[in-house]
Amino acid sequence: MTPTTLLWMILLPAFSALALLAVPKTVKYVRESLALVSAAVSLYLAFALFAVKDLSWSAAWLGSIRLELRLYQFPAFILLGLAGFLFLITLYSVVKMKDHPRVNEYYAYIFLSAALAFGAVLSDNFVPLVFFWEGLLVTLYALISLGGKDAHRTATKAFIISGLCDFAMILGIGIVWSLSGTMTISEIGLKPEGPAALAFVLMMIGAIGKAGAMPFHTWIPDAAVDAPVTFMAFMPAAFEKLLGIYLLARICLDIFHLEPGSGLSILLMVIGAATIVLAVMMALVQKDLKRLLSYHAVSQVGYMILGIGTAVPIGIAGGLFHMINHAMYKSGLFLSAGSVEHRAGTTDLRKLGGLAREMPVTAAGFTVCALAISGVWPLNGFVSKEMVFHGALETGSIIFAVAAWVGAIFTFASFLKAGHSVFFGKRSEERAPGKVKESPWTMLVPILVLALLCITFGVFNKLPLTQFIQPIVASHAEAGAHLDFTSHALDLFNLIAGISVACLLLAFGIHVYGFKRGGNKAYLASEPIHHAPFFKQMYDWAEKRFFDIYEQGVKFLQGLSWVLFKGIDRPIDAVFEKGATAVGSAFTGLLRKAHNGHYANYLAWALGGLVVIIALVNVLLK
Amino acid sequence: MIFLYIGLPLAVSAVLPLVGKASKRVLPDILANTVLAGLLVYAATGARALLAQGPVIQQVRWLGEAVNIRIALDGFSLFMLMTIQLVSLCIALYSINYMEHYGAKANYYALLLVMVAGMNGLVLSQDLFSVYIFLEVAAVASYALVAYGLGAEELEAAFKYLMLSVVASAAVLVGIALLFGMTGALGFDAVAAGLRLLEAKGVAGVAAALFLMGFGLKAALIPFHAWLPDAHPSAPAPISAVLSGLLIKVSGVYAIARIAFQVFDLPSALSQVLMWMGAVSIVVAAFLALGQADMKRMLAYSSISQVGYVVLGIGIGTPLGVAGGLFHLFNHALAKGLLFLTSGSVQQATGTRNLDEMGGLAKRMPWTAGTNLIGALSISGVPPLGGFWSKLIIIIALIQTGEAALAVIAVLASVLTLWYYLIMQRKAFFGKLAEQWSKVKEAPFWMTAASVLLALLVIGTGLWFATVFSSWIQPAADALAKGF
Amino acid sequence: MTFQIILLAAMIAASAFAVLARDLLKAAVALAVSSLILGVIFFRMGAPYAGVFEISVVAGLITVLFMLTIALTKQGDDVRESKTVKIAFPLFFLVFALIDIFIMRGILAKVPALEGAAEAGTFGEVLWKERSFDLIGQLAVILAGVLSVLALFRKRDRHDHE
Repeated sequence: MTPTTLLWMILLPAFSALALLAVPKTVKYVRESLALVSAAVSLYLAFALFAVKDLSWSAAWLGSIRLELRLYQFPAFILLGLAGFLFLITLYSVVKMKDHPRVNEYYAYIFLSAALAFGAVLSDNFVPLVFFWEGLLVTLYALISLGGKDAHRTATKAFIISGLCDFAMILGIGIVWSLSGTMTISEIGLKPEGPAALAFVLMMIGAIGKAGAMPFHTWIPDAAVDAPVTFMAFMPAAFEKLLGIYLLARICLDIFHLEPGSGLSILLMVIGAATIVLAVMMALVQKDLKRLLSYHAVSQVGYMILGIGTAVPIGIAGGLFHMINHAMYKSGLFLSAGSVEHRAGTTDLRKLGGLAREMPVTAAGFTVCALAISGVWPLNGFVSKEMVFHGALETGSIIFAVAAWVGAIFTFASFLKAGHSVFFGKRSEERAPGKVKESPWTMLVPILVLALLCITFGVFNKLPLTQFIQPIVASHAEAGAHLDFTSHALDLFNLIAGISVACLLLAFGIHVYGFKRGGNKAYLASEPIHHAPFFKQMYDWAEKRFFDIYEQGVKFLQGLSWVLFKGIDRPIDAVFEKGATAVGSAFTGLLRKAHNGHYANYLAWALGGLVVIIALVNVLLK
Repeated sequence: MIFLYIGLPLAVSAVLPLVGKASKRVLPDILANTVLAGLLVYAATGARALLAQGPVIQQVRWLGEAVNIRIALDGFSLFMLMTIQLVSLCIALYSINYMEHYGAKANYYALLLVMVAGMNGLVLSQDLFSVYIFLEVAAVASYALVAYGLGAEELEAAFKYLMLSVVASAAVLVGIALLFGMTGALGFDAVAAGLRLLEAKGVAGVAAALFLMGFGLKAALIPFHAWLPDAHPSAPAPISAVLSGLLIKVSGVYAIARIAFQVFDLPSALSQVLMWMGAVSIVVAAFLALGQADMKRMLAYSSISQVGYVVLGIGIGTPLGVAGGLFHLFNHALAKGLLFLTSGSVQQATGTRNLDEMGGLAKRMPWTAGTNLIGALSISGVPPLGGFWSKLIIIIALIQTGEAALAVIAVLASVLTLWYYLIMQRKAFFGKLAEQWSKVKEAPFWMTAASVLLALLVIGTGLWFATVFSSWIQPAADALAKGF
Repeated sequence: MTFQIILLAAMIAASAFAVLARDLLKAAVALAVSSLILGVIFFRMGAPYAGVFEISVVAGLITVLFMLTIALTKQGDDVRESKTVKIAFPLFFLVFALIDIFIMRGILAKVPALEGAAEAGTFGEVLWKERSFDLIGQLAVILAGVLSVLALFRKRDRHDHE
């Protein structure tokens, strides 16, 4: 493993992307084999790099702007995760995307995203980081727009929201540069106060925007409907979380040193807690499986942000562990939703039901992942959530832990509803007649692999915790901090775990109540909450996109543009239309047109401008 | 022989109408393009070598006798010469196919060469009155070129353009008269020395304001911009490209920059006014561009907005800011030239400029769509294309001087820019192919070649921005700041 | 001094008339008168060459050109206009005159001038020797003008552009 391997790690998927674009559509299997081989090689490289753990490579460009790549435990771990997901998604896509009209472009964008993501993770200098980060915006737009005729609207929305977050990040980077004088990330370590605090907030916006936290999340549920489902499993579920939380962790641990209890820590925790609760409330009332899953993706990010925001070792470790756990079970959930869509043709909860008999493997995978996301013992979700709860309580304010528990309740309730509606329970009348088959093995294997990993990371949590998470936290924590998380990770008999179990039971109760109230229709199980007094108003507003800052922003800008046109441009036009000739006569060359006086307007503006500038210059010169 | 830059195009243009009688197409094409190509090569190689020891003054000889013409060349002038020849060459290549329908190609090339000679002369002048004269040369040629199609819309636009320009020239002349009256000299350095001696703040301020209005109108800064959205769309596409890409920058921005730095020494009052005029142009024009349905009109408003960025950068006054502004000037010249050329290809293929009538053209005109996209992305500031780097440098320079509000404005306007360009891309090139365009063909060879050439330059400037910046932009900025 | 002011006022009045006149021919004549007065002012200010050029070119050549053009393109000169022009024009004219007077009062006293900004030589020397570079520019402007006329008045044989 030489340092240039780092460069090849980025270039290989990029070249594969170009090659995939060129493969002719008619030749069978060339494209799929190329993609699988390339993904496998990337995975192998990621493993090899993880074994080595410390490498760096750099090339000079211009002053302090250098192309620097650096590998240590944290990027190595993320790289492994990214490459793993690349392989699984590629395997799944072999069948699912086979008949898509633009399948060449699809693979090309996927691999290009992988290349850019690898580059972003490995970058040790802000400028290449920004380049790779921004490049992901383009592939994001492209991938969403593959979904169909109307997908471009959502694609634009995703592009603009992500773009704004990225601009904030760039501004933050600019401030960091001017404060520290260098662009090399590993050389920076600032205390977050004063202008550095502003930089922290700006970069944080960039990171949580990428991860999809509130309020930058509004494109994700729209994309769930418009974009291909493999894209949902790939980007919002896995890649974006890994990248966004990676950056957030680097910001809190490396670039700035976040203190527990400080204002910025509280800010992060508030954002995390709000995201957990608000997103899961939205998820609860969804009638489409993909939309429901996407809101959960947003909600789970809240746990990660909450964990990292606590700034205590167990909380940070919990947040990071949750990141990789979530990527696994959320990906698994989306892939099983895709499997259902592939065979049953729809993901509408009202039109499915009883699929467990016909698609048992998919159902099993879904169930395991659903239990994992709800934090049921002894799966991986339980372990990471407990760590986050512990961290939240260690900071002293109970309210964050309470918010997290509320989130847990409704998470389980909504998955009970989803699982019940799709796989268990009676078959809906609106389903097309006839039985459906199980999906092909290439689609099932990734789901099963992920489900298996969920179980493994839960029961044998010592492995991932000591191999992946502890080294990262250890390299950043103070000496002597209590770092052994594994001893009581699966411990059920403490107060915190007890409360968590109670939450699960409560959720079960809510679901049963709703189920009975809804006339034994599983998809109506959440209606009591939906129509509860305070919630009903909030839900109505959310339906009207009241809280969507993008939509509101668009309306505002359209309004502003109209105001400028009607309020400034047109009135000036009207005024000078009358006085036009007179104004022009003081100087040379006035022409009066027979049918409009517009020339004179322009002249009037020019002369008016002249007077203003003379006045301005004289005032300023004094 | 730097005088070639003025002499050669003028001489060839005088001959072209006669040549045109003999050969309607081939000979004028070859002649015009060779002249521009030769000047471009000379700028890139020979002139650079001349400058190795610092600014140069060359004595022109006529039949062995030294005539009283001394041409001055410094880093800034050379940079502008490069830009002018480069973009003009691409436009001349494009015109080989585009101007077939208009007739009298030889006359067209003659006017184009006169305009180029005028612009070259402007950037080589070290004297206020010479600036004025060559400004007029380029302007007169441009009036005729805007009206070249002889349709009602373009004649009207050309006439309005002419009438407003004349007012601008008058303002410039009054300013020159004021300065001449005070200092008795017309050369940049002499006037500057005289102003320093006199300390006449008030009157110098009035003269500066007059120059700002006069050259600001040429540069289409708000509130002097209104002729541009009428003139640019109705002119033939290559002429729109030259106007938007070169003329407004050479006769507007270059002149303001030279005079502000060399004559007035950029007092902070002037710097503030320039920065705010730039900022206002950026924002208002961006908003106006959002609502346009005519493709070339949207591009015209975008030009106003981008020139705002250039003026903003130059107005900051710090070395980094000036360099950023000049870099953006270069990037915009390339990209906007490219955009207008491709819009001309679209107009020729479909017969319309209305975005709402287009759709899905990328399937039938992939080269045009691709190069248009590259130009749009560069101007919107998407990395790694050139526009991103120049805007970044301007924003960094703003932050360094503490102008946080302007930095935020610049960044936000970038988002707006991206927005309306995406709208244009979507409406014209992507989406469903409208019924009536199912038979359109890709643009003819030279038009496509010129677009591809410019697109490659845009990409190259972005990827190798470090080299471009250090070998062309930085010396230009230094020369501007140091004076002659 | 007062004679100068009378001349200036008369020139401005003639120009205003040129703008307002209905009949194109009258307007051309008013332009000629205005430039004639300007020529006289140049003479009185000690710039004989400027005066000569002004009178011969503008009051002479250009007026002849205008009259020829007007005669050759005789069309009905009914120009539609709004009535407000009759009120607005004097009003704005007055406003601008006042602004002008104030500005002039403000700066005229304060325009400093360097000593020793002497005359360089005779007119001929200045034109040919000192400002030879400008001469190139003048030639270029004339060339541009000629080319423009050739281009704009070309025969349109296959005029099919869009």
